[in-house]
Amino acid sequence: MTNDVTKIVAKIFSISESEINDQSGPETIESWDSFNGLVLVDELENHFKVKFTISEITDVKNVADIKRHLKNHNVELDD
Amino acid sequence: MEKKLSEYISMSKNMKISNNDKSAKIAILASFTLTGLDECLKVKCAESSINYKSFVGSYNQYNQELLNQSSDFYKFDSDLTFLFIDIRSFFAENFYFPYNISTDKRKSFVNDKINELENLIHQFNNNSNSKLIIANFNIPSYSPNGIIETKTDFSFHEMIEEINKSLREISKKYNSLFIYDFNNFVSKFGEQNIFDYRQYHLGDIQIALNFIPYLANELMGYVKPFCGKNKKCIVLDLDNTLWGGIIGEDGFDGIELGHTSNGKAFVDFQKQLLSLWNQGIILALNSKNNYDDAIKVIKEHPDMILREKNFASIQINWNDKAQNLKQIADEINIDLNSIVFFDDDKINQERIKQEFPEVLTIELSKDPSQYSLILKDLNDFNVLQKTDEDRKRGQMYAQQRERHELKQSISSLDEFLKQLDIEVKIKKSDEFLIPRISQLTLKTNQFNLTTRRYQEEEIRNFSSDENFEVGCAQVIDKFGDNGVTGVYIVKKDEKSWIIDTFLLSCRIMGRGIEDAILSQILKSAKENGVEEIKAEFIPTQKNKPSENFLSDYGFKKQNNFWIYKLNNDIKSPKHLKVEIE
Repeated sequence: MTNDVTKIVAKIFSISESEINDQSGPETIESWDSFNGLVLVDELENHFKVKFTISEITDVKNVADIKRHLKNHNVELDD
Repeated sequence: MEKKLSEYISMSKNMKISNNDKSAKIAILASFTLTGLDECLKVKCAESSINYKSFVGSYNQYNQELLNQSSDFYKFDSDLTFLFIDIRSFFAENFYFPYNISTDKRKSFVNDKINELENLIHQFNNNSNSKLIIANFNIPSYSPNGIIETKTDFSFHEMIEEINKSLREISKKYNSLFIYDFNNFVSKFGEQNIFDYRQYHLGDIQIALNFIPYLANELMGYVKPFCGKNKKCIVLDLDNTLWGGIIGEDGFDGIELGHTSNGKAFVDFQKQLLSLWNQGIILALNSKNNYDDAIKVIKEHPDMILREKNFASIQINWNDKAQNLKQIADEINIDLNSIVFFDDDKINQERIKQEFPEVLTIELSKDPSQYSLILKDLNDFNVLQKTDEDRKRGQMYAQQRERHELKQSISSLDEFLKQLDIEVKIKKSDEFLIPRISQLTLKTNQFNLTTRRYQEEEIRNFSSDENFEVGCAQVIDKFGDNGVTGVYIVKKDEKSWIIDTFLLSCRIMGRGIEDAILSQILKSAKENGVEEIKAEFIPTQKNKPSENFLSDYGFKKQNNFWIYKLNNDIKSPKHLKVEIE
């Protein structure tokens, strides 16, 4: 399912999957602004059937953070 | 099903610039974060073949944009402007604590707020030619007063209702102002879905991102008629579309219509269609069947809602569906791009999509209980204004079919015209007729000598100017009332009258009505001691049908004008009755 996170991030920010790693975040991806960040949250929530809290959302600084929070919501990611 | 916002955003980035014949310049002003709406509208306009240009006001800058005459918003010069103000910021503290102030204070607060809005509208109207669409305010389900909210004098909910009511009233005063029923949108999709507290606190997003595409879809209801992309006619299949089953196999008593659950769904669908017909949408039939089997159901089935008189064209035969559709368009004389096609059969849908991509082909659900919903969800039948003639359109086109049938049964044209019992009522322009007169000058192409387009305000000015005569003609015959379908505008000089405008709706052409109206103008001129009538024919790509009208009547060409000397006889057709009101 890790792959799914990468796919979604790639789609939302219109970049290729190969450009994305755990350290990717608003600092490295130009189109990752606050609005697109929320579109990403929406997309992740719909896909993984979870609801993040505001703290979780504001805490995300990179892809690794996303995965960490997904795991906290009992989403199984194979890595 | 709507696409997701993320899809719209990525589609909008990858769109090629297209060159359509229609364009819309759209401005979006909002008191909260409405990012994403622009992208959705851009994609949806492209899907409707509309060029899209937009201006998105900065966050909560709507007051500055509207009140400053030299703002970027006014410089953009939009065609349509959407204004969204959220009730939270508009009411400020009173949103949370409406009962901290007295009933009287609540009333005066609401009055102030209405004045604030009216001032914005007034400023806008002075500075812009755009249509303004203001979203009304959604009424929150919660009140701090709980269950006694509805017993409270000028309650919190009533405060908002009062503002919404005032907006409606104000919109009746301004032609260019429309109220978007956002409160209705919230009740359609549900407050708890539309308002997401997390998105609100994270970025002042007051319409959840998931629902922005649905909102864009509703707003397209304004864009489409503005660009003339609204639909006028619904073409329907019969078997499994208007009733369940196949008449050729299941027979008159075997089809599902009424009584059974599916049967009720078809009745409901037919009622929805009839209510659109009552609002002026034209209906037509396109069905592969034995004519006699199918028409018997339409004429005699007790649960049938739509009857023969509701259809402007009836194509029940074994011809190709695409060929039939073309026949329908020709018969009622409308463009294919104003047709919606309802047929349950996937193959028929594909056939029409390929042959006529400009027709809106509906993908019907397999479940007839969903048909009504699919029909109600279409935003394609909207118009920005509606006259009595528009409402009667469905009826008038069906009467037209009956006329056509009579014509086919009679060999001579003269005999046919006599049997029609035509009555022409000539009326002077008045406040009630002005909208229709303007509308006819704006949209009549074929029988139109000068194709001069006039807005209501211009018609109003002509009507009050004693040097002009503005008139119109209502045409009635044995099949019904065609409504106001002819217009003339005459400029009166002492010795000669000049015909500025002379037009006739195409559906009443060729019945001598044009001659009757013209001869009335000539007679009236003669009575006023005028010597000659001057007329013009300005050719366009579409007005060939009126090309020979003046010379056939006996006008003589002199330089740019066609002249009729009033010492000649004034001939008037004998088969119709003319009444001057």
